[in-house]
Amino acid sequence: MRVIFEEIIKDIRILLAYPIEIAFWIISPLLWAVPLVFQGKALVGSLQSTPFGSLAGTSEYIPYVLIGAIFSTYMFTAVWSMGNALRNEMFYGTLEHILCSPVRPLYILIGKGLYNSMFSTMFVIVQLTICVLFFGLDLTVTKILPMVFFLALLMIGLYGVGFIAAALTLLIKEAHGILHMFEYILFLFTPIRYPVEVHPITRAVSALIPLTYALIALRGILLGIKFDFLKTSLLLLGIDIVIIPLGLYIFGWVEKRTKQRGTLAHY
Amino acid sequence: MLRRIAHYFRAINAENIKEWRIEWKYKPDFFRQFIAPFVYLLPYILYGIALLGGRFSEHLQKLTGVSDMIAYIFIGYLIMGFLNTACWAMGWSLRKEQWYGTLDTIFAAPVPRWVYVAGMAFHSTCHQGLIMVFQAVIITIFFSIIFSTAGILPMLLIVVLMVIGLYGLGVLIAGLTIGLKQWWVISEALSTLMLVVTPIAYPLAVLPVFIRKISLLLPTTYGVMGIRHLLLGEHLEYSLGTIFLRLGIILVVWVTFGLLTFMLMDRYGRRKGFVSLY
Amino acid sequence: MLVEHAIQITSLVKMFKKRGDEVIAVNGVNLKIDQGELFGLLGPNGAGKTTLIKCISTLLIPDNGTATVGGYDVLKKPLDVRRQIGVLTGGERSLYWKLTPVENLNYFAALYGVSRKKTKNRIAYLLELMDLTEKRNERVEKLSSGMKQKLSIARTLIHDPPILLIDEPTLGLDPTFSRFIRNFIKDELHRERKKTILLTTHYMDEADMLCDRVAFMNRGAIDAVDTPRALKQRLSTEQVVEVKCMGTLEPDLFAQVKEVATLSLENKDGLAYIRMSSDNPEQLLPAILDLVQNKAKVLSVHVAAPTLEDVFVHLTGVQLKDDQVEECG
Repeated sequence: MRVIFEEIIKDIRILLAYPIEIAFWIISPLLWAVPLVFQGKALVGSLQSTPFGSLAGTSEYIPYVLIGAIFSTYMFTAVWSMGNALRNEMFYGTLEHILCSPVRPLYILIGKGLYNSMFSTMFVIVQLTICVLFFGLDLTVTKILPMVFFLALLMIGLYGVGFIAAALTLLIKEAHGILHMFEYILFLFTPIRYPVEVHPITRAVSALIPLTYALIALRGILLGIKFDFLKTSLLLLGIDIVIIPLGLYIFGWVEKRTKQRGTLAHY
Repeated sequence: MLRRIAHYFRAINAENIKEWRIEWKYKPDFFRQFIAPFVYLLPYILYGIALLGGRFSEHLQKLTGVSDMIAYIFIGYLIMGFLNTACWAMGWSLRKEQWYGTLDTIFAAPVPRWVYVAGMAFHSTCHQGLIMVFQAVIITIFFSIIFSTAGILPMLLIVVLMVIGLYGLGVLIAGLTIGLKQWWVISEALSTLMLVVTPIAYPLAVLPVFIRKISLLLPTTYGVMGIRHLLLGEHLEYSLGTIFLRLGIILVVWVTFGLLTFMLMDRYGRRKGFVSLY
Repeated sequence: MLVEHAIQITSLVKMFKKRGDEVIAVNGVNLKIDQGELFGLLGPNGAGKTTLIKCISTLLIPDNGTATVGGYDVLKKPLDVRRQIGVLTGGERSLYWKLTPVENLNYFAALYGVSRKKTKNRIAYLLELMDLTEKRNERVEKLSSGMKQKLSIARTLIHDPPILLIDEPTLGLDPTFSRFIRNFIKDELHRERKKTILLTTHYMDEADMLCDRVAFMNRGAIDAVDTPRALKQRLSTEQVVEVKCMGTLEPDLFAQVKEVATLSLENKDGLAYIRMSSDNPEQLLPAILDLVQNKAKVLSVHVAAPTLEDVFVHLTGVQLKDDQVEECG
């Protein structure tokens, strides 16, 4: 527990040393959604689209894309922050010291995951506040608890994805490419920017990704889109139950294999 | 004099070749860069299809004279590849040398700084050009897009002017990397801002007035508008001549400012002693 | 270009600001290095040696003073200066690890203006000279540190510059490679090719072995410049006594010892080495042995001729170590 706590404190200290980075993480997800708003206006000439509504459950595409942009922060920061965690230790040359200590690298990842969850939540709160104030998003107290519930399930799933990403970067030294591939899959096959029902392939692949169900639920709660609360929770929980042990298993296997090959601390 | 010029051109090409060689050693990453443009383009297209229930838009036709949403967005997005090159690839190139530890050796070489900068720009052009051609072939075949070929030459001229202007930005960012270790925030901010204000997936007409004014200061705006006009027949608010003129002016301003910033940051870095520090 | 001195440095000053404090890294240095001379700049870490090299290789802009290299002013004609010099700094980190030696040298040959016609032969020649021909097509990341340093030297010589600025060439290398590089600098570069070489090091014996003249640099300033022999003769009236003991001794044990010009202490691997210079070691030695005998077992006592290190300690009061500087009485 202490190791996890220390890892969180270390990351907080580093982030607080870069206030510009904090501002960046708050503003940029909203900025990324802006071109989509203009694109919508150019294509349909209004703030609503009937075909969009039949796919997404709401014809108002602006709140749809804003929510996708805001909550996708969790996923992308998890992939990069957890995925890069051990690679960074390799780069600094500190990984061997960590390995010699009575601490498993896994705890470092968990620490990173928790830190990530904390800060992503902070950024999301600020972004939601901006949306409430400037975009008329309706956020009442009764919506908070179900949102927190689904976010918790999302974050658990993220840790599983993060373990797999970290494991792959230990095995295949060229981490950047691996992490980008994770990012691409999330980008293309989750309803961050568009309803995945638009194409059968996106619909099929998205069913395996926890962010899909989290976004369905969060949009349902915030925008009043009809969704099956129980089914979505169970699906998300089901993915979490599979992905966490899978992530731990893959990480453990890679850790063992790289120790056998002697490449664990090689950058 | 001639020998010196030959030396400089050789150095520029050597920089290009070196970068290709190093990139090729990271094969997964090398091939990933050919996939990335599709990953970022497809969401725009799929989003557009979700909005329209198909590919064609009456409202877009009314605004621009082009109804094919996919062809419209594709051209805009293709051009933005050069923006990413300017904001990221050129900026990162010096940082990479700092990270390798080779920057001192390169800066101790008997070539003026502009040679090194030109080498970066040359490599970026080759790299992005290759990706662009690959992307263009795949997308036009997959989505059966037909372009007008009448305006190929003026289109190439627009691309050249736009790219040189963008490289002014790239050189500016490269200069900033000498002194600012968190340069990536500036790169990200600039590329995001330009992504928003450049009419990639929408015409200028849908932008609020103040954003439109900013957009008219960017080479990418004229690049996208001009090329879409030549290839797809998009209506233009300005004549082609005006577009060339404005691109020319922007080019001079951006390149001058970029080179000046680079030279000043280099000098500043050499005074303060942090040029080679990663 | 015919010049009086290959390198001439006049009142050079370079300062840095670190967390609000001003650090004077180079403090009014004056040096004149002749054509074909192998000149050593000797000093501990942080003395300002690398900063000085970077100033004269145009990588840093001095705050005051002037420097000319090959007759060209470093501020007014930096390009011309860079044509005259080969700089070895940063060691193995100044290569592209994902490229092979041939690919690295090809690139630098183009950058340094070696014609296309000459490049291939020049690369083959340099690799042969550095005994790297067999490794020519192996990625640099797979080479040992010594081989990487050899390749760095080859890169420095790619354009056959008349003046070489070499910064700590044997730092971190094992004895075999260190010896190779020292002999290479002395025999091949200095004797055979008559290069002008400015070499920085904190290894006294390296400077003693290689250099025509040596400058002691400490805290940004030059404390002495002369041939190694002349410098050692400054201590000729003194003798150096070395005492080796089993055990660990504290420096303040000798705080009250008088009549000693310099005294240095090194504790290493369970042994303590005391080295002192004095006009009158016969009187001094019993006092030292008295102090030591209750703390450690004396293994040997040896009288030696002064070394450059002794001179350095005598002049600056600072003892050289690999990563630390110890102030001595």
